[in-house]
Amino acid sequence: MSEQVLKKEMGLAPGEARYPGEPSTQDIIARDRVPAPDWVRSESYEFLGDEDVSIDRYIDPAFAAVEFDKLWTRTWQFACREEHIPEVGDYYVYDIGRRSFIIARVAQDEVRAYYNACLHRGTMLRAPGTDGCAQEFKCSFHGWSWNLDGSLKQALCDWDFPHVKAEEYSLPRARVELLAGFVFINMDHDAPSLADYLGPEFMAQISQWGLEDRYTYCHVSKTLPANWKLSMAAFMEAYHVLDTHPQVAVSNADANSQYDVYGEHVDRFISTLGVLSPHLKGKYTEQDVFNQFTLGDSSVAGDAPRQLKEGETARQCMADMIRQAFETQSNTDLSKVSDSELLDCFSYTLFPNTFLFPGISLPMVYRFRPAPGDHRKTIYEVFFLRPVPKDGSRPDPAEPVYLRDDQSFTEAQGMDPGFGAILDQDTENLILQQAGLEASAKPGITLGNYQEIRVRHFERAVDKYVSG
Amino acid sequence: MPGEFTRFCALAEIPKGSKKAAKLDDKWVLVCHTNDGLFAVSGICSHQEKPLFNGRVRNCKITCPVHGARFDLATGAALDLPATKPIPTYEVRVSDDWIEVCLD
Repeated sequence: MSEQVLKKEMGLAPGEARYPGEPSTQDIIARDRVPAPDWVRSESYEFLGDEDVSIDRYIDPAFAAVEFDKLWTRTWQFACREEHIPEVGDYYVYDIGRRSFIIARVAQDEVRAYYNACLHRGTMLRAPGTDGCAQEFKCSFHGWSWNLDGSLKQALCDWDFPHVKAEEYSLPRARVELLAGFVFINMDHDAPSLADYLGPEFMAQISQWGLEDRYTYCHVSKTLPANWKLSMAAFMEAYHVLDTHPQVAVSNADANSQYDVYGEHVDRFISTLGVLSPHLKGKYTEQDVFNQFTLGDSSVAGDAPRQLKEGETARQCMADMIRQAFETQSNTDLSKVSDSELLDCFSYTLFPNTFLFPGISLPMVYRFRPAPGDHRKTIYEVFFLRPVPKDGSRPDPAEPVYLRDDQSFTEAQGMDPGFGAILDQDTENLILQQAGLEASAKPGITLGNYQEIRVRHFERAVDKYVSG
Repeated sequence: MPGEFTRFCALAEIPKGSKKAAKLDDKWVLVCHTNDGLFAVSGICSHQEKPLFNGRVRNCKITCPVHGARFDLATGAALDLPATKPIPTYEVRVSDDWIEVCLD
């Protein structure tokens, strides 16, 4: 049924239509045995227009250049996790475009972000993409060095540099804020605080997730063959699940997922799992739904038999199974965690480049960065997080596994192969989408009012920064 | 012909998670006791011959504290710039609660 038809017949305003005759995400969650918290049981959709979104943003290298100048320099970005730099002196190099930052723990409770370039003749003080521990940051070219606090320690042969005043040669810094175990940086010293940037509703939600008490047990990086915004948008809706991921649709309420926007920089969907897609109604049994359930970490479910008893639902059994198996495996108490948090896919975008998935069965963080010098490529990373064991011992964060362009995500050590297959399917689409947009006679992409609201919301934020 | 092992230090001197550098036959040797066992490598970075002694060990790799080069403790391979050349690795064993290293 078209939007126009619905509006005419039911008096619905644009964006109010939902998949006809099916329970909403909230209806599904309301039936669960262990009830969901308020942050799950709320909605925040907003209609943001229905005009096409211009495609120059995806195909024009000049647009990418403007993004580097105006967007990446003024937004809060996830640079690393605090677990990457637990000790004073630990550092992690975060690279974005031609910029590079040394994210350093300079005191037990203070993290700084230094521009990663020697103030003498510009050599990087640390190689891109590296991490380690330092007592000082020393340039490998002529040996100029800086203390951990960024103050100039030594300019070799200082008799030759009477014009170099130490007080003017501290390492320049970007702003840093810590939130839920994440280190965020922003190059704009006039930008709002991170809390204001993300907004009060999201801040209230993330404070309940305990992400600071998780550790990275798997970290995979691969270059995706498309513009960074296309790559991100590929993960913003469940609308594509039916055709792109048919193996998932059997156990995913894709067409009746919920979409929400929060202010300018945060949006989310909730996609319930253990429920048959409305598109497939009548074609599969409840046992099929149970059998097809896909997890980000299938080891959580262990080898438990998957056989439903009379009257049992796949969703409830899956919740019970995950709760028990995960408690045992990770030595964690999940008795008060709702069925929805255990099962469902909660996907949040934090503009510009981070996805958070606070659920248990799909416990990921995504980071997307444009590849320097190629607007058709994206550096994509997925971090899988697990709760820190109850005994408090915190494992070292996993090192990144770097996949070559021709490698499948299913080859990534530590990643569930079923999850890797999903990412491969998304990658295959992206190759054709990038090429198709370049081949197209149509100047814009067309978006659904509800299911693709996150894409529109995201591109509105892009427009705001690029035009501002 | 198997090489000759030389006593490095008592095992108790390097508990898991720690490391120790010492000169053996005029070579700086660094022994790291990791979750994956004992590893002996050159104590000198291949990049600019700076000591690796205070480098951070994580996931069986050591990072030079001076310029940030990183090396695989098992193979000696240089993993990150600015180093492009490996560091020597040495066989290591425990005998009678002593750590022994073979420099051959």
